[in-house]
Amino acid sequence: MQIRRTNWPLRIGTVLVSFLVVLGIVGPHIAPYELDFQEKLHSETVNGKTVIVMPPLAPSAEHWLGTDKWGYDLLTLLLHGAPYTIFVTLAVALLRVLLGTLVGLYIGIQDKPQRWWLSVENAWSYLPLFIPVYFLLRGVSINPELPTSTLVALFIGAAAVLGVPSVASSIRQKTEQIKETQFVLAAVSMGAGREQILFRHVLPHIKEQVIVILVTETVAVMTLMGLLGMFDLFIGGTKMTYDPVLFHSMTHEWAGLLGSYRGFVYSNTPWVFAIPLAAFMFAVGSFSLLAKGLRDHFRETYQRTPYI
Amino acid sequence: MSYVRQLIGMFLLVVAVCGAPFMLYTDKDEVHVSPENVIVRTVYLLEQIADGSLGTYWVGNTERSIAQDIGPFALSTFELLFFSVLIAVAVSLLFGLFLQRFGAVHQLQRALDVIATVPDFVLIMLAILAAIQFYKWTGIRIITLSPFSDADNNWFPLTILAIGPTIFLMKGVSLKYAQIGGEDYIRTALAKGMGIWHILVHHVYKNVKPFLVADLKKTIAITVANLFVVEYLLNVVGLTRFIFSKDGGFEFNAAVMGLMSIVLLSILVYVLIRAILYLFERAFVYK
Repeated sequence: MQIRRTNWPLRIGTVLVSFLVVLGIVGPHIAPYELDFQEKLHSETVNGKTVIVMPPLAPSAEHWLGTDKWGYDLLTLLLHGAPYTIFVTLAVALLRVLLGTLVGLYIGIQDKPQRWWLSVENAWSYLPLFIPVYFLLRGVSINPELPTSTLVALFIGAAAVLGVPSVASSIRQKTEQIKETQFVLAAVSMGAGREQILFRHVLPHIKEQVIVILVTETVAVMTLMGLLGMFDLFIGGTKMTYDPVLFHSMTHEWAGLLGSYRGFVYSNTPWVFAIPLAAFMFAVGSFSLLAKGLRDHFRETYQRTPYI
Repeated sequence: MSYVRQLIGMFLLVVAVCGAPFMLYTDKDEVHVSPENVIVRTVYLLEQIADGSLGTYWVGNTERSIAQDIGPFALSTFELLFFSVLIAVAVSLLFGLFLQRFGAVHQLQRALDVIATVPDFVLIMLAILAAIQFYKWTGIRIITLSPFSDADNNWFPLTILAIGPTIFLMKGVSLKYAQIGGEDYIRTALAKGMGIWHILVHHVYKNVKPFLVADLKKTIAITVANLFVVEYLLNVVGLTRFIFSKDGGFEFNAAVMGLMSIVLLSILVYVLIRAILYLFERAFVYK
C-alpha cells in the first residue's frame, strides 16, 4: 500500500481552468470600457504644468493593464477576446478527440492493419500542423469579407479535422492492444458484435487516456493559435492596414493579440507585449497543469515504482 | 517502388497544401472554391522543372532564380535541423535513460517540466529577449539578427531550436524508463546481481529503443515547426524563406519547392539519426 499524496497540480489546474471558463462567459460583460473606447492624445495639468499624455499608457488606476499604442484599454481587449480564446480552443479539442476516438476505435478493431490509414498517419506526422491550417485559411482570413463567426467556424473545422490523425493514432494503438486481451476474446466467443466490444469493453479501458488526450490537445490547439498569430493569421480574421503594414486581430483573441503586438518586444513600452503574453501563458499554463495533474493521478493509480 | 509512390504522395500533399490559398478565397463577398487553379499552377511548375529550371521568386523588387538559391538555403536549414535533432536524441538518451537514476538529473527534469509548459514559440521569443538583455548587461554579443551577417554564430539558433524537441523526447524516454523500470525482468536482473550499467544497456535501452524510434518522427515534426519560427524571428536565411517571405507576397513555385525540400530534408535527418543510433549500438550495446 502506498500513501496517496495530495495531487496539487490536479487541484490547482481544475480551479484555474474553471476560472478561465467563467472568464470566457462573463468576460465581455465585466470589461471596464467599451470595445471601441480609445484614449486619445491629450494634455493634462499635473502640478501646474501641462503634460502631454500619449498612448501607450502605462498600467494605472484608470487602465489597470495599460493601453496599447492606439489607446485601446488592454484589459478590455483581453476580456472581449477571452470567449474566443477559451471556447474555440475547447471546441477544437473536443471535436478532435471525438472524431479521433471514433476513427481510432473503428480502425483499431479491424482484423487486418489498414494500410491506407497507416500511410495517412505516417505522412501527417512529418508535416507540422500549422502549415496546412495557415495555407487553408490565408486566402479568406486577411481583410476578410466573411463574417467573424464563419471564419471562427472555418478555423474550428480545419484545425479539428486536420488534427484527427494524431489523436486517432494513439487510440488505434491502444485499441489494437486491448483487442488481443482475454476478456475481448471471451466477449467474442459469447457472441458480442463489433459495437458491443468497442463501447463496452475497449472504450472503458481507454477512457482515462481519452481525457488526458483531450487536455493535452487543448494545449496543442493553443500553441497552434499562437503559431498562426506569429505569422499574422488571427482566429476570426486579420485586419491588415497598409502604409504602415500592420496586422490587427478582429476578435482580440489572446494568441492574436500576442501576435499583433510582438513588435513591442523591442520597444520602450514592453507591457504592451508582456500583458497579452502573460494572459496567453496563464491560459496555456492552466491547461498544462491540469494535464499534468490528470496524468499523475492515473499513473499513481496504475503504475508500479521502478526498481532501478 | 513503394518509396517512389510515397514520394509522389508527398509531392501531391505539398502541392495541395501550398495551393490552398488559390483553392479557397473570397472575392466580392463570395467564397470561391476552385481546385482547378492549383492544377494549372502545378502543370506550369512541372513544365518549368522539365525545362531544367525551378522558376523564380521575388525578394523585394529583385527576381531571383530558385535553383540558384535552393542549395545554400537547404544547407543551412539542414545544419539547423540535423544538429538540433541530434542534440535532442543525445541529451534525452543521456539524461532520460543512462543518468536518470541520479538525484541531480531529477532536479534537471523537474526544471525542464516547468519549461515544457511554455509553448516553444514563446520560449524562442523569450530567448531572444534574454540574449538582448545579456548583451545590454555584458556587451557580449551572442545573437545576430541581421540576415546579411556571416553565419559565425549559428549556434544560437541551433541551441534554441534544440530546446523544443529535447523536452518532448526526454519526456517520452523518461516515461518509458519509469515504466520499464517497474517490470519483473528488471527485478530479476537486479536480483541476479547484474551490474547497473549492464541492466541499463541490455535491458532498459533495448526496450526503450522502439519507442524512441517511434517518437523520432514526432520529434522531427516538432523541430520543423519550430524551424519556421526560429528562421522567421532570428532572420536565419533558410528554406522557410521560400514559404513565408517577410515582405508580403506568397509564391506558389517557391512555396512548393521550399516545403518539398523541407520534407525531403526531414526524411534525410530521420535516416541519418537512425544510422547514428545503429552505430551507437554496434559500438556500445552489441560489441
